Amino acid sequence: MVEVKNLTKRYGSNVALNNISFTVDEGTIVGFLGPNGAGKSTTMNIITGYLSASEGSVCVGGFDTLDNPNEAKRQIGYLPELPPLYMDMTVKEYLNFMYELKKVTFPREKHIKEICMLVKIDNVYNRLIGNLSKGYKQRVGIAQALLGNPPVLILDEPTVGLDPKQIIEIRNLIKTLGRNHTIILSSHILPEVQAVCERIIVINNGEIVADGRTDTLAHDLSSEHKLIARIDGPENEVLHAITAMENVVEVISFGEKEPGVYEYSIEGKEGADIRRNLFALLTRKGWPMLSLRNTDLTLEELFLQLTSGSDTGRKKSERKGA
Amino acid sequence: MAAIFKKELKSYFSSPIGYVVVAVLLALYGFFYYVTVLYRSSSYISSMVYSNMFMWSMMIIPIITMKSMSDDKKNKTDQALLTAPVGVTSIVMGKFLAAFAVYAIAMVASLIPALIISLFATSMSWGSVLGTFFGSLFYGAAMISIGVFVSSLTESQIIAAIGTFGISIFLILVDQLGTVVGGTIFQTILNWISFNARYQPFTNGTFSIPSLVFFISIVAVFVFFTARKLESKRWS
Repeated sequence: MVEVKNLTKRYGSNVALNNISFTVDEGTIVGFLGPNGAGKSTTMNIITGYLSASEGSVCVGGFDTLDNPNEAKRQIGYLPELPPLYMDMTVKEYLNFMYELKKVTFPREKHIKEICMLVKIDNVYNRLIGNLSKGYKQRVGIAQALLGNPPVLILDEPTVGLDPKQIIEIRNLIKTLGRNHTIILSSHILPEVQAVCERIIVINNGEIVADGRTDTLAHDLSSEHKLIARIDGPENEVLHAITAMENVVEVISFGEKEPGVYEYSIEGKEGADIRRNLFALLTRKGWPMLSLRNTDLTLEELFLQLTSGSDTGRKKSERKGA
Repeated sequence: MAAIFKKELKSYFSSPIGYVVVAVLLALYGFFYYVTVLYRSSSYISSMVYSNMFMWSMMIIPIITMKSMSDDKKNKTDQALLTAPVGVTSIVMGKFLAAFAVYAIAMVASLIPALIISLFATSMSWGSVLGTFFGSLFYGAAMISIGVFVSSLTESQIIAAIGTFGISIFLILVDQLGTVVGGTIFQTILNWISFNARYQPFTNGTFSIPSLVFFISIVAVFVFFTARKLESKRWS
């Protein structure tokens, strides 16, 4: 649905985006993650046709944003970082203006009413936008993006400035919309991306540093595969039995955590999944396993690792080599 | 284009700016009509009212156009306009026409005293009155297109207003400059760009096609420049 090819954006000598490519399939919710100034907004601005790229191309719904700008723009609902609201208009006037501007063909009153119900701004419909709270302004911005029911929604930090209850509402709204829209949203709030998106693209210094499904991204990227297990059984015997297992590199006991229950750190060989064998072994021996978790990086750690530059990565491999 | 025009025109009159501009223009027209009435001859309408108003209109037009483009830039609402399926030229035309409509409202209302005078005058020189009326509309349109362009260059309304004032003052003084500066080439060029010189034929009641073409060309050129300026956001 959205195809970004070799996108490069330079501001003078400053490279904001460096050869970015990705494709977003229809009906997926993609999260754009990155620290401030990483190039998230620039990418979104280029996709929506507000800026143009120095190099590369963007296709939305099969329309090139340079060759067919109006057709491409018609496919997109865009909520910029700062909602483009006219403070001297009422919500009603504003939505009607945007309705005309976007040349929407749905029955006007019904369409606008539906969207207002959806983002819950029907109670401020006749109020001046300048007098609304930030949360309401944000929602008017979302309403504006939804006008005309475009197949692609691009939301730049959609939950900024909302209170926790509203954040949950908006997230749920995005999830609902995700059923029949392609959504690209940016954020630097990790749990948000984790909660809403199916796929995450991490971007730093204008480059894509990670791209993958939300649930597997952390797993794939962490090079160490350590498991933390709590096992009810005699410490030494358990240690020996697990060490003797195939593909196990190292087992360390963390000591007794509950009466008779010990916690172990088990490191498997790279690329090997030892969880099944471990389970089988413990069942055979009759030692109940009370908990098992892997030390995959949480997204938070992953994010920090990916975005704090290549230094950390190098240090890590050096340490490993030593 | 229609959506932007409607919205812009509404915003002129949802803030005091539209009313103030129209009121000031009409107050000035009122004053010069009053002077004309003292002369007790309707044939002075074009020379007294509309000729004098040339300068004042040129001074007031920057107020109309100052926020036209700069406001959108400052409030980032240009993101909504530029990402909507409309071309930049339609955006600029919508804005230009809205600013022009504000000016045109004042101009149409300026004919009211002329109508009243015609009720009492034995003979009314409608030719010269309407000639100057249309002439005023044309130079107004040209000045507004310049103002809209200047407004697109900056985020600040003040700078847009002062910049346009500068151009207005230059255009008002250009005739005097022409006489001061020697050298026939400069003089020709200065006379060529003089709005006043182009406006003069209308005050005699002649509908000057060359002048009309001149003013319309100015509008076209500056609407084009403004559109390119708006689009340049996409290159930089």
